[in-house]
Amino acid sequence: MGYGRSDSYRVATTQENKDVKEKPKAKGADLEELKKEVPLTEHKMSIEEVCQKHNTDIVQGLTNAKAAEFLIRDGPNALTPPPTTPEWVKFCRQLFGGFSVLLWIGAILCFLAYAIQAATEDEPAGDNLYLGIVLSAVVIITGCFSYFQEAKSSKIMESFKNMVPQQALVIREGEKLQINAEEVVAGDLVEVKGGDRIPADLRVVSAHGCKVDNSSLTGESEPQNRSPECTNDNPLETRNIAFFSTNCVEGTARGIVISTGDRTTMGRIATLASGLDTGKTPIAKEIEHFIHIITGVAVFLGISFFILSIVLGYSWLEAVIFLIGIIVANVPEGLLATVTVCLTLTAKRMAKKNCLVKNLEAVETLGSTSTICSDKTGTLTQNRMTVAHMWFDNQIHEADTTEDQSGASFDKSSETWVALARVAALCNRASFKANQESLPILKRDVAGDASESALLKCIELSCGGVKAMREKNKKVAEIPFNSTNKYQLSVHETEDENDNRYLLVMKGAPERILDRSTTIMVQGKEQPMDEELKEAFQNAYLELGGLGERVLGFCHALLPEDQFPKGFAFDCDDVNFPTENLCFLGLMSMIDPPRAAVPDAVGKCRSAGIKVIMVTGDHPITAKAIAKGVGIISEGNETVEDIAARLNIPVSQVNPRDAKACVIHGSDLKDLSQDQMDDLLKNHTEIVFARTSPQQKLIIVEGCQRLGAIVAVTGDGVNDSPALKKADIGVAMGISGSDVSKQAADMILLDDNFASIVTGVEEGRLIFDNLKKSIAYTLTSNIPEITPFLFFIIVNIPLPLGTITILCIDLGTDMVPAISLAYEIAESDIMKRQPRNPARDKLVNERLISIAYGQIGMIQALGGFFAYFVIMAENGFLPSRLVGIRLYWDDRSNNDLEDSYGQQWTYEQRKIVEFTCHTAFFVSIVVVQWADVIVCKTRRNSVFQQGMRNKILIFGLFEETALAAFLSYCPGMDVALRMYPLKPSWWFCAFPYSFLIFVYDEIRKLILRRHPGGWVEKETYY
Amino acid sequence: METALLFLFSFLVSVAALSEPNGQADQDGKEKKMDPFVYDYESLRIGGLAFAVVVFILGVLLILSRRCSCSFNQKAKAPGDEEAQAVNLIASKAEEAPKAET
Repeated sequence: MGYGRSDSYRVATTQENKDVKEKPKAKGADLEELKKEVPLTEHKMSIEEVCQKHNTDIVQGLTNAKAAEFLIRDGPNALTPPPTTPEWVKFCRQLFGGFSVLLWIGAILCFLAYAIQAATEDEPAGDNLYLGIVLSAVVIITGCFSYFQEAKSSKIMESFKNMVPQQALVIREGEKLQINAEEVVAGDLVEVKGGDRIPADLRVVSAHGCKVDNSSLTGESEPQNRSPECTNDNPLETRNIAFFSTNCVEGTARGIVISTGDRTTMGRIATLASGLDTGKTPIAKEIEHFIHIITGVAVFLGISFFILSIVLGYSWLEAVIFLIGIIVANVPEGLLATVTVCLTLTAKRMAKKNCLVKNLEAVETLGSTSTICSDKTGTLTQNRMTVAHMWFDNQIHEADTTEDQSGASFDKSSETWVALARVAALCNRASFKANQESLPILKRDVAGDASESALLKCIELSCGGVKAMREKNKKVAEIPFNSTNKYQLSVHETEDENDNRYLLVMKGAPERILDRSTTIMVQGKEQPMDEELKEAFQNAYLELGGLGERVLGFCHALLPEDQFPKGFAFDCDDVNFPTENLCFLGLMSMIDPPRAAVPDAVGKCRSAGIKVIMVTGDHPITAKAIAKGVGIISEGNETVEDIAARLNIPVSQVNPRDAKACVIHGSDLKDLSQDQMDDLLKNHTEIVFARTSPQQKLIIVEGCQRLGAIVAVTGDGVNDSPALKKADIGVAMGISGSDVSKQAADMILLDDNFASIVTGVEEGRLIFDNLKKSIAYTLTSNIPEITPFLFFIIVNIPLPLGTITILCIDLGTDMVPAISLAYEIAESDIMKRQPRNPARDKLVNERLISIAYGQIGMIQALGGFFAYFVIMAENGFLPSRLVGIRLYWDDRSNNDLEDSYGQQWTYEQRKIVEFTCHTAFFVSIVVVQWADVIVCKTRRNSVFQQGMRNKILIFGLFEETALAAFLSYCPGMDVALRMYPLKPSWWFCAFPYSFLIFVYDEIRKLILRRHPGGWVEKETYY
Repeated sequence: METALLFLFSFLVSVAALSEPNGQADQDGKEKKMDPFVYDYESLRIGGLAFAVVVFILGVLLILSRRCSCSFNQKAKAPGDEEAQAVNLIASKAEEAPKAET
């Protein structure tokens, strides 16, 4: 199957992955290989070496012949789609997965039994045939239902394909050619310019102001410079590699193609994401476990009664028919539909709360989640740079970073602030795009880089009218930012018409700005820069930098009029004006601030026992600052480095066990062995991974899963997609998320709000509890359905309950009450308890079976038999007469069977009484199921504590009663289903038993609450 | 708890309604009263069906009642929206529910 298993395609209530083991080993090895880091070395080589390696020429490019040869060797430069699974295979998976298999086996056994009967008897009873047909119909209908529920198959590769460029400009034999991107081969000399998609992985050989947007690969939204020098050992971070399918934002560059198609970095991620196997969902495992239990019970009962019937002297064939009958009677026909509907209802409810669930089983997964690995940018943070702090007048001021501007403001009256704001507004190339006046400032689109946009918005918010300000202060000269100067400078006219001086404004790296300043403005007055102020500056700079913020310094100067009269020609290339001895104004620092709802949501996850790990491509300091801001590293918890700094000892002397929190750099992560990794994940409760590559994200998820955790991953970028796919539940962002991430995920947060995950966890836990109740309710009626058949075999009484009536219960009256239990509200605060332990807390356990089968079910059976014997006795057959009567009773030729009073009964008359008994037994089960559904509403609390607020449940009670009455009284039912009208008094036979069930279970739950941890809890709390 | 009481109460009413036709039949048809071996299944059928219809309508009314500020407790309103959806799915009374919702 291999890659065919790509689509994260799961069955409603079941799981199909039986073929995982058949996966060819070669493919497995491939994936292992892909999980390793990108094996690029070209960035460290010189251009000549690269040329040599790829047999190309730096000026002429490849020859056409060589290009053709390479194209044949490497294949086209495109992403290979994984072989897709045909629709009919998917449909069959729905039909034959897990739970359905149980029903199918039941159906086949039924047909088998019917065949045996047909072969041996003259007039075989049609029951087994009908049952077989109904069972098959149930499976097919539910199969279709879940198929259409999940018809949206995963299209990971297609979404990757949308990112691939169409055309590329290559240089071959010295000529520039526009060719299809697919024909690009390794060694080609490629030219890209602003606006282009990069056609393959490139080693940059020359660049002019080239900036690329690597956000899809690294998650960093800021465009990055590209130049021919190698700046970092890590190929993802070095400047001289440009990646396939990323965007060139501005400038031009020329590079040598070093890899194409699936071998590119992006191609590897795509193949990895689409090739990963996702294991079974927790609920699928639970359902499998449940099937094992049910099958165990069925086979046990079947075999024991098989032996018993042989001992009692039945023939082999009869015994086999009994065996099949008992096994089939154990199959809960309605449960598959119930579980599917319950999950669907929850999925709909979650969709209303902005969690769109892509596959049904994932509904519950969030509830079992014990670890959440969250991406930072866009998930935890707002994904927009915002001015967070300012330092002027020797004081740090805090700016408002909240999304709705509800935060506190700072003192804006200072003269320094006015000057600072003016510099920030003027020395800034960002501007609002047109026609956005009606939008709130924060929502407007800005043309320009992230930090300048942040400054622009900040000034527009606090002073307003940046555009007007710029018009008043016309720009006469400008030196844009570059990495050698590390500053940006512009010269403007002043606002004052009479003032003919020019204003020089400058912003840049704080230390550079400080070097160029000799004075500093404090409270609007220029003061010489003394040592004290310099130290204050250093402290402020360190403090803001320590918060993970990007700090910029600002300064200005009014140029003397005598040297620079009006109309002076400023020359920016050959600077003919002073750029030193300026007046320092202050610092502004920017950060991508956390979303407002995140700290609260993280806190809730904590109290729900869920570990939140941050995994980001960002720098450790920023990551740590945000982690502290949102509570991922909680207050008072220190990392090893913090402890070392506090105690003033080297890091190596600190016991790592003392530190609960830790921040791990991607390059360290690379060197960790599996054991070290496990150790790390086990011993630290608060972990931040910074500078991680897409492959490392995957490794982190696998590490957590290896430790038995159920992992949820949130992310929005292409780089998150392998991790999203591998996670037990991948959560993508609906608004900011890339297409690829949405395809790889199981769930989409429509409002991009991390807090919605908490809702998901809550709903998931609730549905798990409620499914237990639903299953307990449905299973209970199995006992009153099987026992009649058992007694029929052992004591030879006329059959008290027929196949048709059993089906009426399982697929008719029981359905709505069972589904209604999905609407139960939680019994206690489910967000205060630990996530369930998948090894210990099962959906269906022995205790649930013992309650349903052993206790409540037995009382129900008693109620049914009571009604049966009452009706038989009213018709003249006292219980003593009934025992052993079966052979005569079912004998067609015997038309003068005597009852206890000597009345003679014909075959047809007897059968009417028998079927009336079936009806009464059926109605009795409905009556005892009333009590059962009320009892199943709670697992621990009393019904009186829980209340009867679940209206669907009350509706269910009414509906099952109405259906029972309808089936019994509707004219024609005696022919169609062989159900007969019941005298009103017969309805009341089971009432005492119904009451008994209620009282019995209330007392059980009372003891359970009174003696926590006692015998009753250990034995009966399911 | 009111709902529980209401449920029991309505059930008793329906049972009373059900037993009525039988009683009448017993009194009117004197021959039948004389013969203990013949039971008036006709009236029983009608009574039973009436009971089924009454109970079913009661159930449906109960679900649709969430918008009326009748005797039901106000707390039930919060989960009400979700319940409305279930009506759509469970019963085929889909038409009324969305109307009530808007």
